[in-house]
Amino acid sequence: MEQVNSITIDISGQLCPSCLLLTLKELNRHADAVRNGGTEIVVTTDDRQATATIPDAVNKMGYAAEVTRVDAGYRIRVCARR
Amino acid sequence: MVESPFLLIAATSSAAGLTAGFVMHRSDFCVTAMFRDLFLVGDFFLLRMLVLLVVVSMVAFEAGRWGGLLGPYPFPLLGPGSLAPLIGGLVFGVGMVLAGGCVVGTLYKLGAGSMISAVAFAGLLAGSALYAEWHPWWSAFARATTFSPAITLPQWLDVAPALLILPLAALGTVYLYRCLRRGLLTRPAYASGHIPPWQAALILAAVGFVSWLFIGMPLGITTSYAKLGATVEALFWPDHVTGLAYFQALGLNYTPPFATEPVSGGAGPQLDAIAAIQYPLIVGIILGAAVSALLVREWRLHWRIPPRHYVSALLGGLLLGAGARMVPGCNIWHLWGGLPILAVQSLLFLLGILPGAWLGGKLLTRYVVR
Repeated sequence: MEQVNSITIDISGQLCPSCLLLTLKELNRHADAVRNGGTEIVVTTDDRQATATIPDAVNKMGYAAEVTRVDAGYRIRVCARR
Repeated sequence: MVESPFLLIAATSSAAGLTAGFVMHRSDFCVTAMFRDLFLVGDFFLLRMLVLLVVVSMVAFEAGRWGGLLGPYPFPLLGPGSLAPLIGGLVFGVGMVLAGGCVVGTLYKLGAGSMISAVAFAGLLAGSALYAEWHPWWSAFARATTFSPAITLPQWLDVAPALLILPLAALGTVYLYRCLRRGLLTRPAYASGHIPPWQAALILAAVGFVSWLFIGMPLGITTSYAKLGATVEALFWPDHVTGLAYFQALGLNYTPPFATEPVSGGAGPQLDAIAAIQYPLIVGIILGAAVSALLVREWRLHWRIPPRHYVSALLGGLLLGAGARMVPGCNIWHLWGGLPILAVQSLLFLLGILPGAWLGGKLLTRYVVR
């Protein structure tokens, strides 16, 4: 199985819409690697709105997003579409 | 505050606050995001929810007026149009983006444990109280730039409210129906206990109607930010607070529904009608959001964040508070209450908040979120 490089960022507690903007910034920086499937971006946040806006935004850009509940917040994984 | 009008007012206001706080937290019904994300990422989704809330309120308020349920009409505290709501709206728009939430967004996020919002709240109180320092000058500017004594657009044009409001509501309905057909009123959401924003818009429109029905006006809270700010300021400089004209004025004078005697209130530190209407609403929103966050196990303090975020929240809060007093009135007062009856001040506030949100977004991405 191919090794996937995870870029993790914790945006808990930050000013809205840091979560969306910083995720998109990271995604743009590693666009090719993420699109090729070798890299994924994993965001930890307490921003409920980001659980809707990030999947919506990255889907429009051709990526996939997966939201899971962790502790008192959420983990949003942005990766290539299968 | 033991007379019965105050009891009904405080009870209605508490229930409205608890409901609004709970629903806004669950749906993340952020008015700041409605305008900010339009400019930052070209996202119109939440703005459509505002259109839904306004269109439903237009029809409900107009039906209530026809049925004789809503009085007084237009509701108290609305003034004539001038440059004040336009410039105040711009300041408010910049402030809400830098603060990460509007006057209500700050409250529901504070209730859910946001330290950023606690700082913005402190800034809001300070900005609202500071406005009193230049109120006489600003008030003269507002009077000098008043272009008509009319409170609403139908009054200004001398037509029946229904002749303007209902066609606009019909246009809005057509727009929303087209959005519905294209699936633009919903989007996938994964947060625990999520309430779809379209449902929140309907609930909040109902809360606004109930507020006008029992209190005599829709939701509004920012005069109480000045009142609370004045209360804190009076602890340190009581003579200065007493000497400020803004804190002496009693801008609210009306007879509430189901009451026989008129009541009055202002921005000064005293407990009056403004306190009875707005303090329970503020506490209700914070508590409603806290209960919501606790129930989904999301209440947690996060304070280790970049210092520039705190600075932004404080500056944003100051601008929000001052802007709301300059208008006068906040976004929920004007967008959820005044806009549905086409209040001139509310229309001008809307025109001001748009460039304000754009400018706030530019400042946010340049200096804060990077």
